[in-house]
Amino acid sequence: MILSFFDQFMSPTHLGIPLIALALSLPWVLIPTPTNRWLNNRLLTLQGWFINRFTQQLMLPINLGGHKWAVLLTALMLLLITLNLLGLLPYTFTPTTQLSLNMGFAVPLWLATVIIGMRNQPTAALGHLLPEGTPVPLIPVLIVIETISLFIRPLALGVRLTANLTAGHLLIQLIATAAFVLLPMMPTVAILTSTVLFLLTLLEVAVAMIQAYVFVLLLSLYLQENV
Amino acid sequence: MAGHDAGSQHQFTGFQKYFNAYTITGRRNCVLATYASIAAIVLFFKLKPKKQTPAITAK
Repeated sequence: MILSFFDQFMSPTHLGIPLIALALSLPWVLIPTPTNRWLNNRLLTLQGWFINRFTQQLMLPINLGGHKWAVLLTALMLLLITLNLLGLLPYTFTPTTQLSLNMGFAVPLWLATVIIGMRNQPTAALGHLLPEGTPVPLIPVLIVIETISLFIRPLALGVRLTANLTAGHLLIQLIATAAFVLLPMMPTVAILTSTVLFLLTLLEVAVAMIQAYVFVLLLSLYLQENV
Repeated sequence: MAGHDAGSQHQFTGFQKYFNAYTITGRRNCVLATYASIAAIVLFFKLKPKKQTPAITAK
């Protein structure tokens, strides 16, 4: 059986049971629930502080009508950041490398922001498709361009997350294989490659957190335009 | 959005009152007009009757 570098991205099944459901429920299991004690332990306090701070920062530029999205967006952020970081452990499957999952998050949420905008403030929502002060000959061209960019948004959201994580995991596997293969032949080069691997892993930890944040931030921006 | 005018300092008259790139309603009308034109062009080409070319008879 020849193992290809893309086998790590195959959605795992065992005896016909899709294990991605298990992978997706792991963040829920790992994130501790607040107790009804007056003072929680350090981990819970830190978690509560992080969630509060994040929600506050995210909701700052959004009008009151958009604040009902606070729970959804914070929960999405926690899920994505946990999935991404867990995926960096060896032999762990990362659900966010699956385009279907990321599009499943991006398209409905983006569509919801567009529909909210069209329902609550149709004039402003349509008016945003033409930048202010456009010279008259450019108006039709720019409207077409802005419409295309509107519809590209969910695609970009989903593909950005998928591509970043897939590329990162692939690079880690490639460089790790290189270091492993080089070890008996050229130990010095293998050590250099391992250093690169270490730095890359640090980068991937950062990318995992940043991509989750960017996903949620862009959604909040789209909401801000429409609410 | 910082730095934008509300379109209130522009006193438009006539056609520009409804279709301009400054007020929000002007921009909305431009967008709707563009979409309507595109829809009209698409419909025109869809509903245009196809010309019947006569069969070429053998020489």
